[in-house]
Parts: sequence; C-alpha cells; structure tokens
Amino acid sequence: MLASGIDSKVIPKSSQAQAKESTFDHSLMPPCQAACPLHMEIREYIDLIAQGKVMEALKVIRDGNPFPSICAFVCTHPCENNCRRAQVDNPLAIRALKRFAVDFGGDRMIELEAETIYDEKMGVVGSGPAGLGCAYYLRKLGYPVTIFEAYLEMGGMLRVGIPQYRLPREVLDTEIQRLIQMGVEIRTNTRVVSIDLLSEMGYKAIFLTIGAHQSLRLGIEGEDNAGVIDGATFLREVNLGLKPRLGKKVAVVGGGNVAIDAARTAVRLGAKEVSILYRRSREEMPADPEEIEQALQEEIEISYLTAPTGIKSLDGHLEVTCVKMKLGEPDASGRRRPVPIEGSEITEEFDTLITAIGQAPQVPEDFKLRIGRGSTIQVDPVTLTTTRAGVFAGGDAVTGPATVTEALATGRQAAHRMHDYVRHNYPLPEENEKNVLSGDLLSQTADMIKKADRLEPEIIPPKARTKDFRPVEMVYNWTAAVTEARRCLRCGMGAEILFQDKCATCLTCLRVCPYHVPYLDETGTIQIPADQCQACGICVTECPAGAIVLRRPYDRNHLAEELEHAIKSASEMKSKPLIIGFCCQYGLHGTGSLSDFWRRDRTGLHIVPVLCVAKVEAKHILRAFEAGAEGVFVAGCGEMCAREKTAYWLNQQAEKVRKVLEQLGLETERLQLFEPSTMEEEPVAALDQFTKKIGELYLDSILSKEVKS
Amino acid sequence: MIVVEQKPVDKIQRMIAPYEKVMILGCGTCVTVCNAGGEREVSFLREALQFAESKNGGQGHIFTEHTLKRQCDEEFMELITDQVKDIDAILSLACGIGVQTLAGYFPDTVVLPGVNTSFLGMAKDFGVWDERCAACGDCRLDETAGICPITRCTKGILNGPCAGTKNGKCEVSPEMDCAWILIYQRLERLGQLDKMRRYYPPRNFRPIPRPRRIVASPSVAAVGGNNG
Amino acid sequence: MAKSLFEEKLNSGKFLITTEVGPPKGTDISELEHHIDLLKDNVDAINVTDHQSSIMRYPSLGGCLLVKERGGEPILQMTCRDRNRMALQADLLFAHSRGVNNVLALTGDSIDVGDHPEVKPVFDMESAQLLTMIRTLESGKDAAGNELKGAPEFCIGASVHPSADFIEPQLIKFDKKVAAGATFFQTQGIFELASFRRFMQYASQYNVKILAGIIVMSSAGMARYMNKSVPGIIIPQEVIDELATAEKGKGLQKGIEIAVRMIREIEENNLCDGVHIMAVGNEGIVPEIIEAALMEKVET
Repeated sequence: MLASGIDSKVIPKSSQAQAKESTFDHSLMPPCQAACPLHMEIREYIDLIAQGKVMEALKVIRDGNPFPSICAFVCTHPCENNCRRAQVDNPLAIRALKRFAVDFGGDRMIELEAETIYDEKMGVVGSGPAGLGCAYYLRKLGYPVTIFEAYLEMGGMLRVGIPQYRLPREVLDTEIQRLIQMGVEIRTNTRVVSIDLLSEMGYKAIFLTIGAHQSLRLGIEGEDNAGVIDGATFLREVNLGLKPRLGKKVAVVGGGNVAIDAARTAVRLGAKEVSILYRRSREEMPADPEEIEQALQEEIEISYLTAPTGIKSLDGHLEVTCVKMKLGEPDASGRRRPVPIEGSEITEEFDTLITAIGQAPQVPEDFKLRIGRGSTIQVDPVTLTTTRAGVFAGGDAVTGPATVTEALATGRQAAHRMHDYVRHNYPLPEENEKNVLSGDLLSQTADMIKKADRLEPEIIPPKARTKDFRPVEMVYNWTAAVTEARRCLRCGMGAEILFQDKCATCLTCLRVCPYHVPYLDETGTIQIPADQCQACGICVTECPAGAIVLRRPYDRNHLAEELEHAIKSASEMKSKPLIIGFCCQYGLHGTGSLSDFWRRDRTGLHIVPVLCVAKVEAKHILRAFEAGAEGVFVAGCGEMCAREKTAYWLNQQAEKVRKVLEQLGLETERLQLFEPSTMEEEPVAALDQFTKKIGELYLDSILSKEVKS
Repeated sequence: MIVVEQKPVDKIQRMIAPYEKVMILGCGTCVTVCNAGGEREVSFLREALQFAESKNGGQGHIFTEHTLKRQCDEEFMELITDQVKDIDAILSLACGIGVQTLAGYFPDTVVLPGVNTSFLGMAKDFGVWDERCAACGDCRLDETAGICPITRCTKGILNGPCAGTKNGKCEVSPEMDCAWILIYQRLERLGQLDKMRRYYPPRNFRPIPRPRRIVASPSVAAVGGNNG
Repeated sequence: MAKSLFEEKLNSGKFLITTEVGPPKGTDISELEHHIDLLKDNVDAINVTDHQSSIMRYPSLGGCLLVKERGGEPILQMTCRDRNRMALQADLLFAHSRGVNNVLALTGDSIDVGDHPEVKPVFDMESAQLLTMIRTLESGKDAAGNELKGAPEFCIGASVHPSADFIEPQLIKFDKKVAAGATFFQTQGIFELASFRRFMQYASQYNVKILAGIIVMSSAGMARYMNKSVPGIIIPQEVIDELATAEKGKGLQKGIEIAVRMIREIEENNLCDGVHIMAVGNEGIVPEIIEAALMEKVET
C-alpha cells in the first residue's frame, strides 16, 4: 500500500450495483406518438406488425384507442405527418397499418365487458366520437352511463357527416354494438333541451358533446333559393338513406373535408359535372391532400381563387355569379386573405349549389353556458369544465370542426375528469411525460439507411369506385403490411451509454456503427445521440465494456430470457441430439417465405426467437452449447435485414465461438449461420442437412465414448 | 496502449484445473479497449469455460465474475477484498502489470494470467493493433521523423536500412514495411535527410536497470522494498 | 604496412577474386576442408559465413582457423545477430591472436528467416557500429572506453547493395560504413551492370575497393526461391528466363555461363576491383568459373 496520504476509502460506488436494474425504460417518445392526440404507442404496434404478431399489435392499439376500426378508416394521421422516415424517403403508412391490424388481428371478434362499481349515473349528450369515447372510458371505470342522441342513429358526424365510402356503416355499427354489450345505455331520438332536467334525473356529471352541425351561411344574395343546400344537411340526408335530386351540374363552395365529401358524394349520386369553388389556392386548402387527390381522380374540377357573389334562380337552374380572387395579406388564421379582383365576374349555370364553408355548434340558450367564438362552448382546456359545476364539454362543440381522433382523446380526458369530480379526487399532478424525441436525421446517417418506397394500400380505380358508396381503400395483404412496417426507423428506442464510468472510450461503437451515429464531443466523451440511432444493436453487442444498453427493457432482456426458456423446455423434452436455433422474427424467417423453415415439427429443435440477429452474442451461442446443444444455428435476414451490416457483425461473434470450439477440439460445423441467400431454393433442405450433420456428429461422439469405455 | 491477447481456452482450462472457486476478474482500461479483458470478455470467457467444463462432464468449478476499473492501482482491489476471501484462484484478464499487482495485494490467493501481454501499440482499425513502442526509455523519435526504428525495424538498428530490404519491405515478410525506408521517405518529405546521414553509435540498452523504477521527485517518501 | 595478406592484395591494384564457404551444421568438417583445399590457391581470400540465413552452423571463426591452417587467406564474416558487444570484442581479440585479420562486418539476417525462430535476437549493434568498434579496438580502447592490454589490427570491409530499389538509403549507409573505416566492400549479387556502373561512379569518390558479388545459380527454380526467401536478393526476370532456357539437368551449366559472362564483362571494362563469387552448395565449380573467365590463377 502506498504510504502517501491518499484516503483509500473514498472510491466511487460500483456501477455494477446499478446494473442489476434491468427494468428501467429510457426510450424516448417518438414524434408519431407525440403528434397523436391519443398518444398511441405507434412504434410498438408497428414493430409487432413487422414481426407478424398482428394480434399483439391489435392489443397495443386497443390499449390506447377504444375504436381502432374507426380511426383506421378516417383518422387524419398527424403521426404520418410527423414520421421521420419522411427525411429518408416517405413516411410510414401508419393508418393503413392500423387498418391491417384491425382486420387481420380479429378486431371484430373482440368482446368487451365492464362491471358496474359505482352508483353515480353519468350522462353523455351526443354520440359522436367524443361522446362514444367518453362513454367507453366511463363504463370501463365502472359507472352506469347513458348516451343521449338527438338523431335516430348513433355516431354523430361519424354517421351523418362522413360518407360511407370513407367509413362503412358496419364498422360504426359494430362499435356501437360493443358499447351496448358493455352496458352503456343508449337513448336515441332524444334531444336534450335542459341540463337542469338531466340533473333532476339523477345524472351526477354530464358531458356535452353536441358537435357542430349548423352550416355557416355564405351571406350572399339568393342563398335561400331552392337548389341551394348546405353541406352538412346534404351529407346527413344521404347518410340517412335519402337520395336528393341534384341534376347534372353541381357546384360545391368550400375547401375543407366537408366540401370534398359533398363533391364526391354528388358524383356517386349521379351528377355528371361536379366542381368545387374555393376562394384561396391549393396550398391553403384545409382538406386532406389524399382526399383532394382522390377527388381530382374522380374528375371533380376545382376552381381555385373563386368565390360566389350572387345566386339567381332561372328556369329551374341556378345562375351563379363568381368573382376571381387574389391572395393578399395574411388574416388571423395565418392564411393569406383572398381579395376580389375588380371586374373579374363570371356567371355559370348549375343545377345544385352545395355550401360547405364551415359548421358551428347550436347550443340551446337553456343550457345557460358561456358561449365563445364561432358559437362554441367555452371550457377550461385542461379540466374541460364549463361554467356549470359537473357539466363538462368537448369535441366539435368546443373546438369547432376538428378531427375524429382529437374528439376521441377529448372523450377520454372528459371521462377521467368526470370520475375525479364525482369521486372528489384530489387531482394528481401530470405524470412526467416521457421525453419526446426531436431532431432531424443528419445526412451522414440518413444516407446509410436502406431506401424503400412507401407501399400504398390498393385503391379502387376512380371509374369503378364512383358507381357506389363502397369503401375506396383496400386493406394491405400480409406481405405488404409486414414490408411496410419494417421501414420504421424505431425512433427513440436505440442505444445509450448507460454506464459512462465503464466506458473506456475505446471508440469501438464509433467504428462499428453502420450509421455513423456515435461521436466524440468536445470533452472527448462518446455521445450516442438518440435522435440519430437506428436501433440496430450492433454497438451494444460489440462494446467491450458492456457500457451500452438498449433503451427499452424488452430489447435488453428478451434474448437471454428466451434462451433460458428454450433451454428449460429442451431439458424437459430431453430429445437428442438437441439443436438450438436463434431465429430472427422479422423478415423472411419470422413472417415471410422462410417461416416454414423452423415451424415444422422437428424433434430436438428448440427455437430462440430474436429481434434481429445483431443482438446475438458469442456468449449466448456458447450458453446454448453449454446447455447441451449438439448444434447451434442462427438464422437471419442477411442482406435483406432492415438494418445495415448486421450479418457481418453476427459473423464476428460466430468467429469467436468457432475459435473456442476449435480450442476445445470440437467441430466448427456445429455452429451454422443461415441467411436467405444461403438457403437457395429449398430453405428447409438447408436445415435438414444441418440436422443430419449434427446427428452424425452426435452418433460419432457416442460411439467414441463407448469405445473409450 | 497495452495490447493483450486472450490465452486459448484449453490452456486456461488446464491452468485453473486445480482450483474450485475461480473469480474471473476483468480490467476496464487497456484490455477493454483491445477487446480481450473487459467486462464483455469476462462474460464470454466464463461462458466458454462453463461450456468446456460441461463437455468434460464437469470438473466442479464455481465461477464468479467481476471487473475493476484498473488492476494496476491497489485502491481498486479494496472493492473485491471480501469476495476474494472466499476464492481459490483469481483468473485475471488484466495485463501482466495487473496480474502482478493483484498477486502482491492478495498474497494468500493464487492469481493466474488469462491473457498474454503482447506489446504497446495503437489501433489501426477496429480489431487491428500494431506495435509502436518498445519502452526503451531513451526515445529518439526526433531523429527518425516519428517512426521508431527499435520497434518497427525487426533488427532494431539505428543506421538503417540493412541489406535485406526488398521493394520497401522487410526481409521478414512482404507485408511488413521496411522501417528505414519509411524513415527515409518521411525525412525527405520534411527536408531533414541530414538526420539520416548522421552516424548513430550503439544505444544504451539499460538506461534504467531492470526491473525499472521511476520516482517523481525526491520528496516522495521512500516506499519501501526494492521494486519487488 | 598492410595488416594482412589480403590487404596487401587490395593495395596491389590487381583484379581480385574472393569466394565463400559455408560451415556444416555439425561437427563433420570434412566437406568444409575439402572446399577450402579446392579453393585456397585459386582465390585471393575465402570468406567463411556466420550462420548464413540465420541457420545455426559451425562457427565462422572456427572455419577461418581451418582456412589459415590449410594455407588459405580467411575473411571472417562477423554478424551482430547473435552476440553483444562483449562477445564480439572477445572474438575479435581471439581472431587477431590466431592471425585471422580480415573481417567483413555485417548486421546479419533476421532470426525469422532461419531455423531457430524462437531465439532471442541480439542486434546489440549493426554493421556500421561494428566497423567503428573495430577501429576503436585498434586504437587501444574497448567499446566502453577502457584501455586494452594489447590492441588488435584488422583489414575491415562491409557489404553494400548497389542494385537496391531504394538506392539513396543504401548510399547513405555506404557513406557511413566508409566513414567508419571500411576499406573494402563485397556487394550483393550483381545481375545487370547499368545500376552497378552508376553505383561505381558514386563510389569512386572514396578510396575503397569494391568486389562485385557474383551468385551462381543452378536453375530457374533456385532463382525464384532466392527472390522469395533470401533477404535482399532481387534477381531480374531476364536472368530467370535465361536460366529457364537450359535443358533439363543442365541448369548449373547455364548458371556458370551467366556468371562467367558477368565476370568477364566486369574485368574487361575495369568496372571495379574484383569479384566475390558465391556458389552456395556448389563450391566445387568455382575453380572452373575462374578458369573459364580466363583469369590467371593466383599464386599465393
């Protein structure tokens, strides 16, 4: 011991103690999840689809969304608009993948149950998505719930606003049925005119979600002529089964989804010429770009920078005068204000004019609520409380026309607020939200990512689809869905240097990363930026100090657990010779043409499913041998892996094992790596050969043992 | 950096054969960087030894694992003092310095070397290490444009090249550069060929007699012992 | 006064011929004696190699004593591979005491090319430093500066590689060896004369004697082998091709032909001061070569 004055007791606590913790989750919330009003775990369910685990994917979806089948059709996908894959090629088709999970995962079979724990009756006024969502969550919490719906049919805008070619009737009906199965009481054809009455009836808390169904008026002369309909009414009538007579030429005024819906509905009702008149340019049109595109394919004309100024009725037609616009200064919404061009009036003849420039809620005065801009109910956005105690409001009635998913999220929020109110709960502070991943992909990383274009689901061609109201978009087939799901960049679930004190700055991670992600900062410390990491797992396997881990607990632990599981079941089955195979769950082995490779019954073969062979380390392979395996194989995707260089690094790990096998006098053929290219035509033949070889080696070893004794 | 190489598993097996409770002890510095003795390698070696043992019907070893930040400073060894009491042998994956420091600190425990300490070198690329320094104690890199003739010339001569150089390569192997041709080229590039024209007398092979010791300053208290 | 018979010959101005013999791997020196007898009267001096190609053999100094005993003039090849300064100085004192006064100072082949690859290479010094040390001994001091009780005297030489691919480093070394005191040089094998001529033009600034090395090969295969495995030897393709034209079994004849042609050209054109014939394994044909090159036999 040195005789100097060093106090040898002051030594940093070993980080190995921390290492025992394997359950922490340091994954960052990806931008798709952050953008979703329901904060659904999109990255997780897409990963499950990529593995072919569609039912599990559906479970994750249902954990975050009570009506995935509806969203699968009509969600405006803010997730896709924020998908970082767009920085590489195109965003993931998340909504289409959700639809795939719903269809293929057997959503229709799922039955919902709820039991009543509390006495307090909860009232929901309006059965649009916000109301349905609120009812679902309240029921799950254990309350008796009643939904009051003014119309004959449930669903709010889902029923009367969205055309059936976008959201089929059966889908909505199935969801409503499920709510009824759960025990939600439905009162249709019942318009609520007084909140006081509801309170007298014993409802302890009420959620007002009456939507925005009142079309805004154009405010021009001749608006009340016959032949002029407002869009909301038009769509409602069609959805309720009526077939309004439109004539040949139809004009729709407006640029939002309602205008597009009205136009496309008109086409399907037989109108020969349908045009949309919009006062701004295409860039400012608020409708979904996909909807606009499909409308154009259906030969709907869009006249930009055009606004009607007067309507005259003439010989059973309408004479519509329009003026051309130019864009001036931005208005309050940030969009450039349209300014009429002097002397540019034109007149055109139409049979029908449909107005679709916006809707507003119609709130009865009797509700005695504070009303704000656009005739909407004023609420505190955090608690959803109105000016009356116990009365909450949400959905279009509060925000003005918005999206289905936002309404669902509001419904969920309302349910929890009503629960707190009735239970007199002290509201807990917001849970620490996970950090959201932000940042753009650097080109040095984006360049290395394998390019793959977005696979769109099939759309029925325009001529065929405009004949009726069947759904326009088909669902993915299995291969398309799995392939599309594999394009996910796995934002925020990559690698991190957890144990900075173990890191010897050996630069291995920097050198082996195929995406050039780890770098040395100005203090000479290695950083692995979470927003660049592609979660391939190579650095985790190669780090000599074991300082790097994957952020999600499952990714850290699953391989070792699955391996022990396989070893245990092998020891119970006791069939010889034992072969243990590590099989990638993505791609061809997990979900594709090679999934046959190991699925057939083979005695003595135990599979360890892995999420990419980059996570297989030399010590795992040795463990398999130690547990008694006569042969071990690793089946990966080779060059078809969604990540770069995984096959190369797997081979490095295999080389280490082969060296040990040699040093111990064992045949190196006992370890085999399979990739699609090594499988040739008959993939199963490759495994057959390997099994045969191992069998021979096993027999030899038994015989030689006998000879020795 | 000190570059080491793991001994073959069968050799290690034989070395640990007489001992039941064996602690595999890694080192978090040089040997981690050269992928031979860090935490991951400790795990891997344990797995390999357990596998080897299972092949032989089990010799009844009980393995434990641990990795210290360094094994060339005794303070780190305090952290494992308790565990070592219960151990028959420590299989150290540190360089020779670490093994000896360990052995000195735990004189009642058998300490075994799991790696061969090979040289002082640098990483040319991932997985490739080249020797660069012989620790001669009398650095003359100023004379040879930063290329060490003692390490990189196989004969270690000072007035090179010898007559065995062929195509700029050493007589030992067509892949090995002749250090003196490299020195010549770089001195020429720097305009310092006169350094090569100088006659260099035979070097002092023992600037400090072995085993060497350096003491920072006279005021540091005598440590006791004669570098043993 | 010349320090040895060979030095006298060096100073005489005549065209010199030296050759070399390799000792056996063992105690049976009969073949060595036979070669010495064959050659001693045909050449001006005989080199005895020192573990050539790092293959362990009977010592060079022992071989030189044999040459001396049998009436020849020995040149002691001394390498730095196996002995440190202490041992080298001791050997030099002994060599002088037994009348072995010619030394060819060499660095030595590396251990890796020989048959004892695991031994410790010494290389305490190299050729230029050895030459300096010999001159120091001659001045009456040892390498550490201590006074000697009786100083030796030597005629010392070194090797040089006129046809090296990187010529300037070799010239730098050559300069150092001359400055260290070498009076004669035996070159590596010469196969073409253009580069040799250029070297000789450079060497003419010094008052040293150059003997061109002539390697006698017995086949194209041997030439290729030497190219691959023997340090420093580069045999041009034309020579290998010429050897390949020989009929089966006549390879050695062809090699002799090439050697004779080379010696003739050197002598007739006064390119240098002599030749050093290396016929490894075929020492017996050296007299024939000399005769065929129309040299006068040397009277000792």
